[in-house]
Amino acid sequence: MSDEINVQTIPITDAIAKPQELPLVEVNDVTMRFRMPTEKIDNLKEFFIKFVKRKIQYEDLVVLKNISFHINRGESVGILGRNGAGKSTLLKLISGIIEPTSGSIIVRGSIVPLLKLGAGFDSNATGKENIFLNGAMLGFSKKEMQEKYDSIVEFSELGKFIHMPLKNYSSGMLARLGFSIAVDVSPDLLIIDEILAVGDAPFQKKCADKIASLQEKGTTLLLVSHNAAQVKRLCKTALWIKDGEIVMYDDAIKVSDAYAADCQTQKS
Amino acid sequence: MQKKYIEEVSTGKSKLSRSVNTLCSMVVRNVRNQYRNSVLGILWTVLNPLLNMIVIAFVFSRILDVNKGINLFYPVYLLSGNTVFGLLRTATTTSLPCIVNNYDLLSKTRIPHEIFPLSNVLSAVVNFFFSFIALCIVMLISINKPGVGFHATLLMTFLPFLPALILFCLGISFILSTVYIRFRDISHIYSVVLTLWMYLTPLFYSLDMMDKHETAKTVLKINPMYHYVTYFRDLVMGQVPSLLSHAIIYAWGIGICAIGYMIFHFSKKKFLLHI
Repeated sequence: MSDEINVQTIPITDAIAKPQELPLVEVNDVTMRFRMPTEKIDNLKEFFIKFVKRKIQYEDLVVLKNISFHINRGESVGILGRNGAGKSTLLKLISGIIEPTSGSIIVRGSIVPLLKLGAGFDSNATGKENIFLNGAMLGFSKKEMQEKYDSIVEFSELGKFIHMPLKNYSSGMLARLGFSIAVDVSPDLLIIDEILAVGDAPFQKKCADKIASLQEKGTTLLLVSHNAAQVKRLCKTALWIKDGEIVMYDDAIKVSDAYAADCQTQKS
Repeated sequence: MQKKYIEEVSTGKSKLSRSVNTLCSMVVRNVRNQYRNSVLGILWTVLNPLLNMIVIAFVFSRILDVNKGINLFYPVYLLSGNTVFGLLRTATTTSLPCIVNNYDLLSKTRIPHEIFPLSNVLSAVVNFFFSFIALCIVMLISINKPGVGFHATLLMTFLPFLPALILFCLGISFILSTVYIRFRDISHIYSVVLTLWMYLTPLFYSLDMMDKHETAKTVLKINPMYHYVTYFRDLVMGQVPSLLSHAIIYAWGIGICAIGYMIFHFSKKKFLLHI
C-alpha cells in the first residue's frame, strides 16, 4: 500500500481576503482509508468458519488521498465530482461524523451538516413532534424550538398537515419539513449534500433565496453537487475531486467549466 | 502519521447540552410510541404490569403452589421481582438493535453514539416508574396481607438502588448493541439467554425452596439479578439491606457498565463500516 501520492495543492488566489484571520475550515493532508472485508460476514457461524480457514480477506479502499485545502469565513465553496469521487466522505469528515485515517481537520465555528433531509424523523410521530425532536438533535432546547416553531411551519408550507403523522406525508412534504427545520438556524458553516432538489419549483426557489440570505448574514456554505450549473450559481470558489484527489481548487466558474468539459469527454 | 485531530471551537451550544436535549426528546418519543394509537394510551404502562402480575400470580400460587417459604404476600413478592427484572428486559431488548436501526442518524448527524443505548435504558426506567406505581396500587389493596406495608425504605429505591441497576442495564446494552452490529445472531441467542436468566432469578419462587440443593443455591447467587431482586424486596419489606448487598449491586453495576462502555467506545469508530 503506497501512501506516497503526490500532494496537489492549488494556491488559492483571490480567496485570501483577510490574511490575518485564521480560516474557518482547515483540512491538512487528510487521507481516508476504509478497510472492508471482501465478503460481508454477519453471523457467527460464517465468521468462525472463515476465521479458522483464515479466509477473512480485507480490501483497503482509499477514498481520499492527502487532501489539503482551506476555506475562509464567508466564502462559499462548491465541491464537484462524479459519483464515488469521495465528496460525501469529505463532508462527513468536515462535519465530524467520521474521523480521518490520517491528517487533521480544524473547524473554527458552529456547523450544521445537512447531509440528509429528515435523518431521524419518526414516521409515527406528527410533524410537530418531529420538529422538536429534530431540533433537539441540532442542539436546540424545547424553549428555543417553540420560538422557531411558527416560522418553521410557515416556511414548510405544510399548514394543517403539521398535525398528521409523518407516515402519511408525501416524499416532497418530508423533504420540505426537513429543509425548513435545518435552515432555520444561522450557523457559521452550512454543509449541504445534494439535497437542494426538493419540492416543486417555487419551493426550490424559496430554498435558494433562503441560502442566499444566510450567505449574506455571513454563513459559509459548503455545497456538494455533481451539477456544475448549481455550483456556479451559489458558490464563489469550487473544489473538484476525482478519485479521492483534488484536481482543481479555484474560481467557481473556471472549475465548473473544466468539470463540465471533463464530463463531456467521459461520455464520448 | 499525523495525530488524528478534529477541533470545533463551537460558538453555539456545548456538546453536552445538545446531547441532553436529544436524549430527553428521544426518551419522550420512545415512551409515547409504545402506546400510540391505543385507546387507553399511557394508562397501559400501569395496567400492563398489573394484568401480567395477576396472570402469573394465578398460575403460580393457585395452580403450582410455589409460595412456600415466602413471608410476603405472593402477588407483591411476584410483582416486586418482575418490576426489577422488567427493567433489565425492556432496557436490553430495546437497546440490542438500536445502533443498527438508527444507521441513518449515525451516518448523517453528529449525535454521540452513546445516546442510543442510553435513551432506550432511560425509557425503560420511565416504564419502571409506572410499574412501581402498579406495585404501590397492589400494595395498597393488599395492605392487610402478611409482610405488606409502606415502609420508609421504599424511598431507597430511587437513590441507592436504581442508579446501580441502571448502570448494570446500560453496560449490558452497550455490549449487546455493539455485538449486534457484527453478528445479528445475537438477538436470537439473547432471547433464549434472557428466558434462562429469568428462570434462574427467584422471581416466582424463593431460594428457601432449595434448602436441599446447596449447589443450586450457590449457582443462583452468582446471578447478579438475584442480588438486585432481593435488594429491592428487602426495601419493599421494610428492611435496610446489608452493607454487603450495597457493595454487590454497585460492584456489578459499575463493573458491567465499565466493561460495556469500553467495548462500545473502542468499536464505535467502525460502526458505520460494519452496519
